Amino acid sequence: MKVLIRTDKLSKHYGKGGEIKAVDELDLEVYEGETFGLLGPNGAGKTTTVRLLNCIIKPTSGTATVNGYDILKEETDVKRVTGLLAESPGLYEKLSAHEFLEFMGALYDVPSNILPERIDDLLKLFGLYDRRDYLLEGYSRGMKQKVLIASALIHDPPILFFDEPTSMLDPRAALMVKDLIKKLADTVGKTIFICSHILPVVEELCDRIGIINRGRLIAVGTVDEIIAKAETKTLEEAFIAITGGVQEKELLAWREQKGAGA
Amino acid sequence: MPVPKWLVVARNEYRITTSKIRKIRPYFPILIIGLLAVYVAFIAPAVASLLIDDFLAFIITFAAVPMVQIFLFMIFFYFIILPITQTLKEMETGQLEIFLAAPIKPSDVLLGEFLGHMPLYAIAITVITGFFTAVLTPLGLDMVQTAIIIIVFVVTFLSAYWIGVVIAAILRTRLGKTARGKDIGRALALVIALPMIAIMYAIMGGGLTEALVDPGTSGAVRAILGLLPSSWGAEVFVGFASNPGNIGAVGFETVTRFGGLVAFFVAVLWLGAKAANRAYSLEPTTFIASRAKPDGAFYKTVKYLGGGGSFGTLLVSIFKDYSRRLENLSKIFYMVGLLAIINIFLIGPDDAEGALLMPQFILPLLAAFVVGEVTLRGKEALFIYKKTPSGVGRLVKARLLHGWLVVVPITAAIITVSTILSPQTTFISSLTITGLATLFVAANVAFVLGLSLLNPAFSDKSGNYVINMMITMFAIPNGLFLIPLIVLGRVFDLGLYDILLYVTVPLSWLVGIVFLYLGKRKLGRIE
Repeated sequence: MKVLIRTDKLSKHYGKGGEIKAVDELDLEVYEGETFGLLGPNGAGKTTTVRLLNCIIKPTSGTATVNGYDILKEETDVKRVTGLLAESPGLYEKLSAHEFLEFMGALYDVPSNILPERIDDLLKLFGLYDRRDYLLEGYSRGMKQKVLIASALIHDPPILFFDEPTSMLDPRAALMVKDLIKKLADTVGKTIFICSHILPVVEELCDRIGIINRGRLIAVGTVDEIIAKAETKTLEEAFIAITGGVQEKELLAWREQKGAGA
Repeated sequence: MPVPKWLVVARNEYRITTSKIRKIRPYFPILIIGLLAVYVAFIAPAVASLLIDDFLAFIITFAAVPMVQIFLFMIFFYFIILPITQTLKEMETGQLEIFLAAPIKPSDVLLGEFLGHMPLYAIAITVITGFFTAVLTPLGLDMVQTAIIIIVFVVTFLSAYWIGVVIAAILRTRLGKTARGKDIGRALALVIALPMIAIMYAIMGGGLTEALVDPGTSGAVRAILGLLPSSWGAEVFVGFASNPGNIGAVGFETVTRFGGLVAFFVAVLWLGAKAANRAYSLEPTTFIASRAKPDGAFYKTVKYLGGGGSFGTLLVSIFKDYSRRLENLSKIFYMVGLLAIINIFLIGPDDAEGALLMPQFILPLLAAFVVGEVTLRGKEALFIYKKTPSGVGRLVKARLLHGWLVVVPITAAIITVSTILSPQTTFISSLTITGLATLFVAANVAFVLGLSLLNPAFSDKSGNYVINMMITMFAIPNGLFLIPLIVLGRVFDLGLYDILLYVTVPLSWLVGIVFLYLGKRKLGRIE
């Protein structure tokens, strides 16, 4: 299988002397057409990895290729072949959905003769066509997420990055986004890279997952392989076993203290 | 051929800026150009004709060059700080990710942002340039001189605006990624305008113009301001005004100043484009998280003043949340600075009554800044108190006490200093005035707190916040002080102190208590 994303000792360190290792010597391969999930607790380095792979920030050391393009030398090419749904993206609230997609299409050099039709197609696909001229400030969170996904697709990139695609959504909107990601993977054959700390999302959508903690990739494989490797029954238990967690007996220890009750 | 990226960004910025007038957007440029044409052709010349005699007398004085330098510097400075202030108030870096993930150069984003807001700045530039050109036209300037003046103004202000856009973008990147940085930004946005206000009041107070007539002072100001590019345009302006129709008389000065200005514009454009990579970045700028220190003597005293128990803890918590926001401290600094500027430039040390009069207009606003933010953290912050036993009453009590502990000492210090500086004021009258002013401002705190709860604003952008500020700014000084001073002062022949003592202070307390009661009742029912 063709490798579309390959990282080679990719590192991003911050602070004096680089003591904060946001991403530490990451070696990873993502194959064409697969849905890969990067799983990890908050602050594990998931968003930093996505930003590095999208050339938003530069690595401290190491490198990566995306669709064969080097993230250090071929920034513009990398940006053209990727679509990004950021974790907390800044929508232009004073634009309509149509205007926003038009803007994004122009940023990614979608030819002006096909852009209007593509915008209409995407708006119809996401059920937003009737509200195309409403300002985004009046959209619900789920609708905004649909617009953002549409904007990531506007230039029809072969690789899509979704950073916490459902974390801010209600169950109905989350289900819609999950269905959409499945459809993109199954019917259109996109390579999808999902970052999340929500285990069921990753479990349901991803062909393979990687678990990252404190910047280091500590496990890679299918869900079954990771569960087997951790010798647990569920992915949740495997995740806790691999990344470490609070012992149950410690949780309510504070109640034992004298005078803690009201 | 793809549309240039800077044009895409510029069009997007223009759309955002004009989103409120989307329905008339296609006709908006025609409408504005028409209005500006009327202004340049008729209104500006009409206004200029009223001032022409004064202007002719002024242009031959020593004050002419430095005064025009100061005017241009003020506008130059204003064009720099306007985009900075706008950015500092609302720093969002989310949209940066869109640009950084897209195949677009940072310099294109910068140029696009500059051009996208340009139409609004172009209106201001046209108004200012139109006025100055109209003032000069009756002097008999030839076409070349007029054209150079127009270019000088346009280049000067565009340079300033470009500098402002670049600085704003850098500040957004430096400050916008952390809560602390955003707080610093909001704090800066307010106080950055103070130097401009000081210069404006110095001109309004008259002292500056008179001082500049003196050749020594005038020369010194010229020498200092002459280093700034805004002054080069001023020298061209005054040179042409002194030699209308005779460009050769000031040929060398014109070439050097005008050439310098154009070179400056090109240089700042180039430097800005070079700085663009730094201006658009999502690299973290700091990893230092703000940490709370153990309570020192100040908070221990506050807790003691709050009774020491749980109410004292509540009061200290409110104090901490308030004082750890630089935005709040900058508002206090701004009001104190404003009062100092007014005292220095508009009132003067011999005007004891003025020193007493002016704070009555400023201090209610100080009270509004301090306690008016009670609801700004949102409904959920209020519901914390509503959920707790006797929470509403304790919130009102704690906020009132907090307001007094902040506003009263500041008021006492300001009034004491300004009365001591006045040679006509005795120690006893200084004490009396300070006492009256603090009583007045303490009542204002109660009034503003009540008003803010009665008409809650959950964001400083909401209409309710503006209404509350307007009521505080106009109703208190005018209704409780100025109108009684004019009406009762004439009818009963009462002086400033009598009005304050017998009318303003008792009335403001009455109004304060009523509003506080109503506000507390409203808070109890808020949903």
